Amino acid sequence: MRDITEEIRQEIKDMIFDYYAEECEVEKDEITMDTNPQEDLGSDSLMFVELIEMTADKYDLDIKLQSIGKYMLKAPMDTMSDVVEMFCKIYQYGNDIVNQ
Amino acid sequence: MYNRAFLFNGIGSKPEKLLVKLPPQLMDKYEHYLEEAFGRLGLSMDLEKNKAYDGRVAEWIISLICDRVVFEHYIEKGIVPDIGAGYSSGIVSISGCFGSVPHEFAHDIIMMNRATMRCLEEHDEKLDMGIVIGFSYSDIEELFEGKFSPDELVIGSGNSRFHVMVSGKAAAVEKALLLCQNEGAIKAFSFGTGVAYHHPAMKKYSQEYVDFCASIKYSNPVYPILSIFDREVMTEGDQVMRENQLNVYTPIRWDLAINKLEELGVTEFFDVSANGAVSKFSRVSRKCKIYTLEDV
Repeated sequence: MRDITEEIRQEIKDMIFDYYAEECEVEKDEITMDTNPQEDLGSDSLMFVELIEMTADKYDLDIKLQSIGKYMLKAPMDTMSDVVEMFCKIYQYGNDIVNQ
Repeated sequence: MYNRAFLFNGIGSKPEKLLVKLPPQLMDKYEHYLEEAFGRLGLSMDLEKNKAYDGRVAEWIISLICDRVVFEHYIEKGIVPDIGAGYSSGIVSISGCFGSVPHEFAHDIIMMNRATMRCLEEHDEKLDMGIVIGFSYSDIEELFEGKFSPDELVIGSGNSRFHVMVSGKAAAVEKALLLCQNEGAIKAFSFGTGVAYHHPAMKKYSQEYVDFCASIKYSNPVYPILSIFDREVMTEGDQVMRENQLNVYTPIRWDLAINKLEELGVTEFFDVSANGAVSKFSRVSRKCKIYTLEDV
């Protein structure tokens, strides 16, 4: 398991918010932790995969999409808060996220 | 040597998702082509008035018209392809844009899908297709091993390392999607369209379509086209005709076609779909890039 600092947590949150703002063509300040990425922003699964790939590149992670898919069966991504939390767990646990 | 490839998506995106991406300067052209095509084909410009099969093919023809508008826009900007490839019905679209058949004939091919759907209904054949996001072709192959017969289900297309299309009997598609979901798919969903393009079972229901594809002489394409079936470079009209015929009932490997284009030297890919649909499910290596309408 990799330690996560508050700075990294904030960096991940900013990266996610920037990404959705650009892809969904909304102002970043319109997105809150309660925003539903699918219903409120119109995001889709392919955007989500791209965000995973981007994160894996940025933090040099070797992560299998199936591990994330299995985690999502237990923890659906209903809000931006869920998304940020999941990406922090990806950073910390990598493929072991499925056991979290 | 090929450096720049145009990628055609053909059908699959809803009209509203395509049209919102067309800039105002391209809308006039789109409306002109639409009026011309729908007038000739007897389709209503009010999409809701096109019932049953007409409604479906009307949407697909809109996709082709959008492709044409974007293609011509790229050409006018001086962006000229060295080669191209069409994903599924993108083959019909590229046949028109690369000059193998008149655009009107490409639209007529799309219209022939009505005969295929009618035939399926008459035989009470329940087919479907689905998309799995999060698995590669080989992941799915391994997962499905021993669970489905080829008559029930095939991998209709391996699109990229995380995007696969499955096709076959509706019940098998449903079972397969559930299996994928439980095994960690990011998303798995069915089209619910009642057809199973790229499944061999479609052959017996699409004879009228296949015959129609061969009803005119195809010109050699202005730019070469890569076959998504055998990944050969096609430069002759007859090859393009054959590609159109195979399209309905033959599985494709889009992922391998993209790899082949890279092997041939392509580094710049241009997505001809208005909403960048191809760029979303395709992946190229780091030394390459897929440009979309928004980039141009």
